[in-house]
Formats: sequence, structure tokens, C-alpha cells
Amino acid sequence: MARPWCSAPTEVSNKEPPQKGLIQAALQLVDSPAQLHLLHVMEPLETMSPGVITGNVTDEVRTQRVTEALTRLATDHGAGGAQIAVAIGTPGLAIADYAAAHATELILIPSHGYHGVKRLFLGSVAERVLRHAPCNVFVLRRSDAE
Amino acid sequence: MVPIQSLFAASLAETIDAKFGTIVGYMATVLFWEPVPAIPIPLIVLILLCGSVFFTIYFGFLNIRGFKHAIDITRGRYDNPNDPGEISHFQALTSALSATVGLGNIAGVAVAIQLGGPGAVIWMMLIGLFGMTAKFNECTLAQVYRKVHPDGTVDGGPMYYLEIGLQQRRIPFLIAKLFGLVFAIFCIGGSFGGGNMFQANQATAAIRGMLTNVIGTPAGIDWMIGGVIAFLVGLVIIGGIRRIGQVTEKIIPLMCGIYVLAGLVILAMNFKQIPEAALLIVTSCLSPEAAFGGSFVAVMVQGIKRAVFSNEAGVGSAAIAHAAAKTDEPVREGMVAMLGPFIDTVVICTMTALVVIVSGVYDDPTAGEGVEMTRKAFANTFSWFPIVLNISVFLFAYSTMISWSYYGEKAWQYLLGKSRANVICYRVIFLAFIVLGSVASLKNVIDFSDLMILSMAFPNIIGGVILAPRVKTMLGDYWTRYKKNAFVTYR
Repeated sequence: MARPWCSAPTEVSNKEPPQKGLIQAALQLVDSPAQLHLLHVMEPLETMSPGVITGNVTDEVRTQRVTEALTRLATDHGAGGAQIAVAIGTPGLAIADYAAAHATELILIPSHGYHGVKRLFLGSVAERVLRHAPCNVFVLRRSDAE
Repeated sequence: MVPIQSLFAASLAETIDAKFGTIVGYMATVLFWEPVPAIPIPLIVLILLCGSVFFTIYFGFLNIRGFKHAIDITRGRYDNPNDPGEISHFQALTSALSATVGLGNIAGVAVAIQLGGPGAVIWMMLIGLFGMTAKFNECTLAQVYRKVHPDGTVDGGPMYYLEIGLQQRRIPFLIAKLFGLVFAIFCIGGSFGGGNMFQANQATAAIRGMLTNVIGTPAGIDWMIGGVIAFLVGLVIIGGIRRIGQVTEKIIPLMCGIYVLAGLVILAMNFKQIPEAALLIVTSCLSPEAAFGGSFVAVMVQGIKRAVFSNEAGVGSAAIAHAAAKTDEPVREGMVAMLGPFIDTVVICTMTALVVIVSGVYDDPTAGEGVEMTRKAFANTFSWFPIVLNISVFLFAYSTMISWSYYGEKAWQYLLGKSRANVICYRVIFLAFIVLGSVASLKNVIDFSDLMILSMAFPNIIGGVILAPRVKTMLGDYWTRYKKNAFVTYR
């Protein structure tokens, strides 16, 4: 039985949520949303940011907010009951590690589709996942990709 | 015998300084070009002056009519804990102030008086007052166009409002993007210079001054001090030790308090001389002496330059910090930001200026330059003050470096993305510049960084003027609701 899993992009956007297509695709592959894992990888804290210096922004607070956001996202798109996970680290590697730890059968991931200098420096999370993933990977090109 | 590393450092520093000299030459040609032949005002000063005056008139002297409301907001009267953002209004103001209050208030005022005469103080105060509305405009825009991430963290600042906001004003994508990119490049340059090397240089001088009596000046001491400062900054920005940043944030207001209190005590002890000092400031502004710059315009240019270096109004740097404030009313954060230039320039700089003038050191040729002059002015009354001032200089410099590392990194991320390797790359370069700034007095590099900070005003003020109608509409709506008492208060 397939146990797909997807990673949510990190930006809140006014455009059509890119996660919607991803979750809909994932739901096609599972018997129930409970088999789906929704993972969000957060960058490590910026220790010189005002939020961190004042003590308002901590990893605990961020994890709670992301968990709430992912739960809302899952509920809004018919995936209520999906397993919600939050990790901190380099997105590509953290996704691969998570997949290995949870015996994932398929990873679904969106791609921003950057080109040029931005691509060079940003790299591609999808590319890194492809290189390190212990299972099959399905990359969805985002509708708002550059 | 001179250590080999010192020779290497000296030659490396000289080579770098020489390279920067060429760039500084080109930049200065543009920035200090005088567009009006009859009036020798440099282009950048003209833009800053006209921009600030324009915003003040356009927003109906909000700096005066909104002052009381700004204080109420800062006191937390409207703080809704559920609003999106990272920090309260008060915390946003203190974060922004920790980047601006510092050497500009201590050394910059003395430099302005030395080069422009006491009359330069009037111009500093005026640009401080007009700069309040420039700050209002940029910080409101930073809130409007910020990105709030699912984890609650925020990205915002001029690069975002220039890129997105200008497109909404029907400016073609490429031009809007160019505004954002140019701002980000200048911001990164400023973060390595004025926000880093200049601070490291002054902090090193302060520590060296304190250590001289204890251990003398052994060879390579600047390397060691620079290394220690870089290590201490590195603990926060690479090591992730939050506690240091948190402690620094608490000490800075205390140091500010001690500084202002000492200044006020000196002024109180010499209160009979204050009217005379005030008269001197006014008369030398209207009829400048040849010894100080010579002309009305030269005095004005000095005053404006030093005020802008001190409060950064129109430059757009503080907007990056103010973007993180918790609110769903962008105008509200803009009003809080207005207090920044007031506290920084109108209060602290004016106080320093009065102490320097009242103590008589301003026309004492033996008083030294910049921070030395201020030190002597305070030491005339309190012999222990130089120690406090040295500690203050170090702490102000330290907090300014941390704040500017954040501004620079945000600009760096805007340009090159948020990947971990990319961010670490910026931070390592930042630390290397600290050491470089400590070991050598690199005139060209520091001039370069000054010019970079001033250059940030080009895209920021031009873009800010184009976007001002949107802010004005929002302000009108906000002010109507405020007058109708339509806001929920929490305190």
C-alpha cells in the first residue's frame, strides 16, 4: 500500500495555495488521509532577529504555529486526519531523513522552478530530495513557478 | 621586531583600502554631484532633505499631530497579542533604536560641530523632525508589503515594498525589481561598513583605551581585540547563543539612560549657560563663521549628513526591524517608528551638542576629534565618565553590529535566497569584516560604507514618494477611525 507524504512550501501567498494541488494528488494515492504525512521543514532560527532577541520567537512557538497552519491546511483540503510533522534543518536533507525514518513509499514535493542566479544560490529542495531520498519522489511543478 | 602577521595585515589592508578608493571616487562623484550650480548642495543631501520635507507636508505634519498617539501605541495601549508578527510595538522601536543610537549620537554630533560649527545642530534637529515622517512612510510600507511565514516569522523591508509596491503602481516589473535589487546591494554594503567595520574600529579604540593603562599597547593588540569582538558577535550570529543578544538588548537602554542622565546633570549644573549656547547655535546657523565650513550651505550639509548617519531616516534600514512588529494596522507601526528619529536626534544628539558647547570644548583645538571631543566635554564635569563612555561605545557598537548583521542578512537573503550555506557565507564574511575593521583605519573602506548607507536613500526615497499616495489613503482611514475612538484598547 502506498504511503505518500508531502512537504508544504514555506510561504503564505495570496495566490492559489500551491499545497492544494499537492494534497489533492496525494489523496488520490491513499486509502485514507491518515496514511498521509504532511511535513514542513523550518530554517534554523535567525539568532539576531528582533523576535529571537526579545525571546518572543522560539522553536517551540514556531513549531506550534506551523502545526496549526498544517492542520488547517489539511482540513481545508479534505485531508483531515493526516499526520502532521515539523522539522528544523536543511529542507532537502530533513525531508529525506524523515522519509527514511518513517519508511515512506513516495514523496510528493512541489518545485519553485527558479532559474539563473536565484537557482544557483537557492538550489532546489526538490533536487536535493531526489538525490537523498530512500524512496520514489514525485515532483509537482508549482503553477506560479518562475 | 614587527610580527609577520602584522606586516601581512597591514599590506592586505592597504591593498583593500586602495581598491576601495577607486570605487569611492566614482560613488562620491554621483552622490556629491551638485545639481544646482548656484547652491552647492550634494545630490544625496538634496534628496534626503526634499524627501523628508515632502513626506512631512504630504502627511499633514503627522510628526506633530500624531506624536501623542505614537506614544500611546508604544506604551502598549493597542497591543493585541493575537496580531501577526514577532514583536510588540515597543520592542520594534527599541530594536530599531539599538541599530541607530550609538556612535552617531556620541561622535557624530562632535564631528558636525567641528566641521560645520554650532549652527549644524539646528540642521540636525530639523532633519530629525522632518525625518520622523520619512521614517513613518517607510515603516508603514514595510508592514504593508511584509511576508508573514507559517511559523510566524516575518520578512520585510524596502526591498519587498519597492519590488511589490512599485509594480502595483504600474511600474514595469524589471524596474520595480531593479529598485529592490539596488537597495539590497547598498544595504549589504552598508552592513559591512557603517554597520560593522566603523563600529568595530571604534569599539577596538575604546577597549584599547581602557587596556592601555593595564597592559600597555603590545604589538598585535588590535588583532586580538578584533578577534575577540568577532568571536563575541559570532557567538550570537553563528553560534546561536540567544542569551547574549537578549542581555545586550537589556543593557543598551540602561547605557542610554546613564548617558542621557549624565548629560542632563551637566546641563543642569550649567543651566545659566544654556541660553547663551542656544543663542550661539542659532546665530552661527544664520551667519556661519569662516572657521566652520564657511557658508550657510556647508553648515547645513554637515548637519544633515550627521543627522542621517545617526537616525537613518529615509535610508530604510529600520523598516526591516519595524516590519516584524505585531499588528494588523501598518499605519500604527509607522507612527511608532516616527519616535525613532525624535529620540535619536532631537533628544540625544541635541543633548550631546549642548554639553559639547556648554563645556566649551567645541572650540578647543586640543579637544581632539569626534568621540574624543565628547569624552572631554563630559570628563570636565565627571572625571569617571570616560570609563562609562568607553563601555557604552563598546556596547553600542556591539548591538549595532548585531542589528546590522540582521539587516544585511535580510538583504542578502532577498538577493540570494535563504539556504543555510548561503546564510552562513554572509555571516562569515560579516565576521571577517569585523576583524578587518578593528586592525586598520581604512579611510576609503569607511567612506565607501558611509556612501553605501547614504545610497540606500536613492531607491528608498524615490520609491517611497511613488508609494506615498497608498500610505496617505491608509493614514486617512486610520486617522478617521482613531478620531472616532473605533480602536480596541488593551491597556
